[in-house]
Amino acid sequence: MNRITARQWAAAPLAALLVLMGAASAAAAAPQGKADRMSKHADKGITCAQCHGKTGKKAVVPKKQCLTCHGETKDLAARTADVKPNNPHENRHLGTEADCNRCHHEHAASENLCLPCHAFNFQVP
Amino acid sequence: MSQDHLKEDKEPDPYTQQVLESGLSRRSFLARAAGGAAAAGLFGLSGAPALAAGARAAKTPNPGPDAAFGKSADGGATLSFLPKPRPIHDREIKRTLTFDVVVVGAGASGVPAALSAAENGAKVAVIQKAPFALSQGNTGAGVDLATSEKAGVEALVARLIADSNHRCNPKLVRQWAYHSGEAVKWVVDRARQGGSPVVDQGSGAQRAILKVNGYGMGYVTSFFGPKPYTTGDGMRALAKTAEKAGVRFFYNMPAVQLVQNKAGEILGVIAKDPDGQYVKFLATKGVILATGDYQNNKAMSDYFIPDVKHLGRKQLDRNGDGFVLAYWAGGVFEPIGHTKMLHDFDAGPASMCDMPFLAVDRKGRRFVNETVEMSLMNNYLKDPGNAGHYSQIFDADYMTQAAKWPGKLVPPEGLKHYMPDDPGAKKGVFASQVNTHVADTIEDLARKIEADPATLAATVKRYNELVASGKDSDFGKPSDRLVPVLKAPFYGIHRRVRLSAICSGMLVDENHQALDADGRPIKGLFLVGNLGGGFYGGVDYPLTVFGLSLGRCYTFGYLTGRHVAKL
Repeated sequence: MNRITARQWAAAPLAALLVLMGAASAAAAAPQGKADRMSKHADKGITCAQCHGKTGKKAVVPKKQCLTCHGETKDLAARTADVKPNNPHENRHLGTEADCNRCHHEHAASENLCLPCHAFNFQVP
Repeated sequence: MSQDHLKEDKEPDPYTQQVLESGLSRRSFLARAAGGAAAAGLFGLSGAPALAAGARAAKTPNPGPDAAFGKSADGGATLSFLPKPRPIHDREIKRTLTFDVVVVGAGASGVPAALSAAENGAKVAVIQKAPFALSQGNTGAGVDLATSEKAGVEALVARLIADSNHRCNPKLVRQWAYHSGEAVKWVVDRARQGGSPVVDQGSGAQRAILKVNGYGMGYVTSFFGPKPYTTGDGMRALAKTAEKAGVRFFYNMPAVQLVQNKAGEILGVIAKDPDGQYVKFLATKGVILATGDYQNNKAMSDYFIPDVKHLGRKQLDRNGDGFVLAYWAGGVFEPIGHTKMLHDFDAGPASMCDMPFLAVDRKGRRFVNETVEMSLMNNYLKDPGNAGHYSQIFDADYMTQAAKWPGKLVPPEGLKHYMPDDPGAKKGVFASQVNTHVADTIEDLARKIEADPATLAATVKRYNELVASGKDSDFGKPSDRLVPVLKAPFYGIHRRVRLSAICSGMLVDENHQALDADGRPIKGLFLVGNLGGGFYGGVDYPLTVFGLSLGRCYTFGYLTGRHVAKL
């Protein structure tokens, strides 16, 4: 099977997530304590295990894990309520329940999931 | 239903026979992958024959061409997009709930199916992976039998069968024709009870098909609009009515596995709750899968419908989950070459989408006789460069020069709603998807529609020469569809057709019950909406009746909910 780049996957967003799972898996497999070059969390002193756990298993970080530090989805949506033209954390497709991983990537550049269909020019941190 | 066509044949109909022969089921794939050695009974998630067959397939030194698409696993050969479900033990189940009917998917067929079952006395659960009901589009069509001639209904059935290149199951088309009026009216009524501003546009929305072969027709046409209000909002309103009728909705609960006994009967569904725990939903009468298409499953899509490889998707999360569930329960996919629906009613007015103005590809070149409808344009734009993009070009005189063409012209003031560069308020549109432009020169217009200015200028020059000659010697368009592009300002609608839906699915009978590889009903398993097969068959979804797709979803959800409730 041919390798498929993230750009080619852009039209199929969940498929993009699968690619990301690969990226996250690579990070999970990295030795503990050795900061990933692409990790914004690691730059702040957060260890791999704090997100990925200590099992050493390759796995994408579940949304629930993100929320333990970043708060409930509804609170997050309230904090971005004024983002124009639309609130990315409360939308007609997924409500407040979008998986964080779909836009915010830890070990690759984040992406704006809205852009293939909408002219919503968010800068995704 | 027409009695003439309801004779109980012992032999499967030609459509069903063909799907059994050429479709994809666990058995057919194993038979191919294992060199025909694996045609044993493979039902049940832990069937020993399946294990044996899979082991043989795995050891085949030259697995053949099918191997490129799949791999052999312990439970039998699988395609990469059909992962074998891992057995889930009872100790992993957090809780078990029992209903008469369990519907998977809260969309345009799932919500009607649930409400219909509840109104017929069933205790119903809906499990939905998204946080609310979801659907797309605005229009849903049904036939109003009271105002239609019987010959007209049959003529329409024949037209729709022809639209499907005679590859559909006529019984299902006929079923829609004779029940859709009742079903669409019912959806309108119940959605309104839930607070929706839905209207019945009747026959007004179907002007092009009021006579079929000279016979008169009337329609029921639900409209959940105008944009940005859609059928998604409508189904959320319908879900409120369903909740009042006793239906229980479980959101953020993706189905992960069907519960099947060794005899192959479906007993329920296992879903995953928001905490990642398994919940078992038992269904004493049946499970209705209404999970939608698989456009976001790249591997599945490339396998069944390679035409759309480079074309964009309009939906999210249509991952073919229901297809995987039904396949592992013994269901049969329609053969490769599925029916697709692609359009763009957002960039410019929908009523002008089929008007045969000069059309240019993404570079600015003319590429087709423009009488080809938008719904078919994708066939010319499949390559990665065009990827569904093209533009309609016209000049300042379009309101007079195209006045007699089929379609409905929107005057310049109205076009402003579709112009991202126009500062005015946008009404009746998705503001973030409008893509109509105006410019004083062809070169400026080219820049706005993202075409090459020199190429577009040359295309327009050549087109004007053809118009002046009165004969389209390049593409053969009729002379009465040739109007020049001469007078500023110039207009361009940059359309980008993307996949709205894949309308082919898995083999069902007239009760929408899944059939296995022997053509036998799988007890307890029903498939509706785009997961159900047999209703289409052509390369593209036909726009003969506006809203056929949603009309079909409502109708088959409505009928199936009632049928299963009465089992």
